[in-house]
Amino acid sequence: MVDLNAYHNDFENKWCPGCGNFGVLNAVKKALAEQEIPPENVLLVSGIGQAAKTPHFLNCNFFHGLHGRALPVAAGALLANHDLNILVHMGDGDCYGEGGNHLLAALRRNLDVTLLVHDNRVYGLTKGQASPTSRYGFASSAQPFGSFSDAMNPMALALSQGAGFIARGYCGEVDHLAGLIRAGMAYPGFAMIDIMQVCVTYNPVNTYSYYNERILMIDEKEHRADDWQAAIHMALQPEETIPIGIMYQKETRPFTSRIRTLSDGPLIARTRDPSAVQAVLDELG
Amino acid sequence: MGIDMTVTIGGAAGQGIQTVGDLLALVCHRAGLYLMVINDFESRIRGGHSFMQLRISDEPVYAADDGIHLLVALNRGSLAVHAEEIRAGGYALIDERSEGDDKAGEGGEAGIAVVGFRRLAEEAGGRIMANTVAAGAALGTLGAPDELVESVIKDQFRDKSQTVRDNNLEAARMGRNAVAEIRFDWRLQWPGQNPRGKLVSGAQALALGALAADCRVACFYPMSPATGVMVGMAGYMDRFPLVVEQAEDEIAAINMVIGASFAGVRAMTATSGGGFSLMAEGIGMAGITETPAVVVNAQRPGPATGLPTRTAQGDLHFVIHAAQDEFPRFVLAPRTLDEGYETMIRAFHLAEQYQVPVIVLVDQYFTDSLGIAGRKWVVPEIVERFLVSDAEMENPARYRRFSTSGSGISPRAVPCAGKARVMVTANEHAEDGHLSEAISDRNGQMEKRAKKMKRMVEEMRSPEVLHPDSSLLLVAWGSTCGVVREAVMRLRRENHDVGAVFFSDIWPFPAAAAAVALSGPGQFVMVELNASAQLGALIRAHTGLHAAGAIVRYDGRPMKPGGLMHDAMQYLEVSDG
Repeated sequence: MVDLNAYHNDFENKWCPGCGNFGVLNAVKKALAEQEIPPENVLLVSGIGQAAKTPHFLNCNFFHGLHGRALPVAAGALLANHDLNILVHMGDGDCYGEGGNHLLAALRRNLDVTLLVHDNRVYGLTKGQASPTSRYGFASSAQPFGSFSDAMNPMALALSQGAGFIARGYCGEVDHLAGLIRAGMAYPGFAMIDIMQVCVTYNPVNTYSYYNERILMIDEKEHRADDWQAAIHMALQPEETIPIGIMYQKETRPFTSRIRTLSDGPLIARTRDPSAVQAVLDELG
Repeated sequence: MGIDMTVTIGGAAGQGIQTVGDLLALVCHRAGLYLMVINDFESRIRGGHSFMQLRISDEPVYAADDGIHLLVALNRGSLAVHAEEIRAGGYALIDERSEGDDKAGEGGEAGIAVVGFRRLAEEAGGRIMANTVAAGAALGTLGAPDELVESVIKDQFRDKSQTVRDNNLEAARMGRNAVAEIRFDWRLQWPGQNPRGKLVSGAQALALGALAADCRVACFYPMSPATGVMVGMAGYMDRFPLVVEQAEDEIAAINMVIGASFAGVRAMTATSGGGFSLMAEGIGMAGITETPAVVVNAQRPGPATGLPTRTAQGDLHFVIHAAQDEFPRFVLAPRTLDEGYETMIRAFHLAEQYQVPVIVLVDQYFTDSLGIAGRKWVVPEIVERFLVSDAEMENPARYRRFSTSGSGISPRAVPCAGKARVMVTANEHAEDGHLSEAISDRNGQMEKRAKKMKRMVEEMRSPEVLHPDSSLLLVAWGSTCGVVREAVMRLRRENHDVGAVFFSDIWPFPAAAAAVALSGPGQFVMVELNASAQLGALIRAHTGLHAAGAIVRYDGRPMKPGGLMHDAMQYLEVSDG
């Protein structure tokens, strides 16, 4: 195992004390160390939000881009070099709100990256507005009479779109979450992990105690990961209990293996052949 | 000039105008004639009225012309639309079912030849070949040698069965025989098989330039009139290390391009104004992250949806300023097909050399028109990547992607290629790539990026100047230069004292070269396809020189030499007088 400290950097972390992002950050370090992926071989891609700042606190390569757009950046990087280990960090507003169309496209492409959605059901960076996963009636300074929209269900959405790897984690169960991240990274295809993350400042509803009372680890003996019916049932069940673990996993064909051009190796490693271009021009006379 | 004539093929969308036009263009190209082919179509898949217009000459031509020598009317409506444009002595070939059309006689001195396009096609083996009959009839009218026509048809249908090939040959022959009696005044002298260059569209020229430049990832969302550029590349995916991927939207397209470029390959997208608007934030991200990106904007009239299938040059100010705040970028506007190919090679080179977005600004007239590219297209032996690796660093662990030392161009490494960590953020950042709000970092990075502009402006090519000492200079940019060149040639033949200035490189604005080009003894007048003469405003802002006036058009149609000459005359009468 690589030393956990290898992933540490000294960049000043400005998350609130007690922020659920710390649990996610520690789980990522642990997952990378356990897989023995040296930090210089990891590419982190993120959007905008407190979650999207995560890459700054890891000693890896990163591209911290625009709100909602991490998945297209990751897709482009993957096309250029499909040997990359890509972890995508997004928040719920980032991924399910601003970047919703890109999530749908990533599901359809079966983009071979691991997506970690730090889902705290609130906008933290912009100080507390309702997010796509905030429940109906969630009150904030921007929604003083409560949010008018229902919460979306990312797990059910992904399952309905043929996702091959769906898991839910919890920032308060770091070792368990690290295991999910490992499994997601090992999965050939799009691995989506929705992480129940606590916002200690702006979400008084979904607190540590809220989750601690409801979290239920999925028992692999009782829940077969390849049982889609059981998974969708689990995804749609009322939030009296919140199952965490791998909800669904099946074999799929990842994006980059669907593209014949890429079977000759990563684009970045291919040799340019000017005579091939000349041949094309010659065909035109 | 011996030969100079215009053939128009008109019909409803979906009738196969393109098939007829392509056959004519291929035959003329193979014979060694010059061509300018424009496409005029409505935003619909079936019906309406569309046309393709071929100007054919034995000398290079730079624009479509007024007047029609030969009209091929695939439906009765086309004759009505174009009858008045047919020149005295010209001909219209119409289908049998067009008989009785009210306006059929209004061609004035034009002859009408009724050819059973569909009936003859059925005789040759199927109605689907009506277009081949029409092409055969048109080529017959022009006096094209049989063996030339047949060689082109054989090539066009080489992937089809022998029967399909033979039937089409027969259809073309029947079309030709149907017009054997016509005495057409502009029957061509056919020079023999000696092509003068490549027959390509502007979109193809850009696509091939990108291929030559080693573009490896192209992402796009379909949008007229830019889609042709991406389609022009997609077919080569099996022969090159190239992936062309249709994105879920334009925002994704530009972000994918930036991701691919960041990860180490050359990448591009192509769109039109609406898509470019969606990409604006991404362009800004390419700016602040100093990630090379090539973006083709094929303009059409706006705002918003505007005129989707028509042409314009209204985005000039927009692309120079798109995205918030300030950062360096290039804007290049190729004027010809040859330049389209070369500009893409240049665009990728400049994007990587300066780590900036490069916008290639063309328009519907440029991408959709076909012509003969006469220059030799050079494939660069080497493309310089301007990348650094661990081996070139003193200590890869201390690599700073945005180091402020030096020229403003900091060392660009590829992520996961070595020990050096490549850290990039769209936030303002410190030299190591971490986000930072420190005043020193903000100022340091802003100044570092701005510093590049000094060298970038030196890369700008001076405008081309024709007859600099003229009393009137017509000033144009991009694809509009072609029609201005043509108008100036004709006006000079009529002894008018007129010249021209043609810009291809727009931004950073080549102010010094512009001032030299425009400081002749005469006055200058802008010729642009936008309402306010946007290049004129740039010239004024950067050189203090004022245009005497502007000839503009914003109805979505390309300018033609006749109309432009007419408009230019009012300035000439003043200056000549």
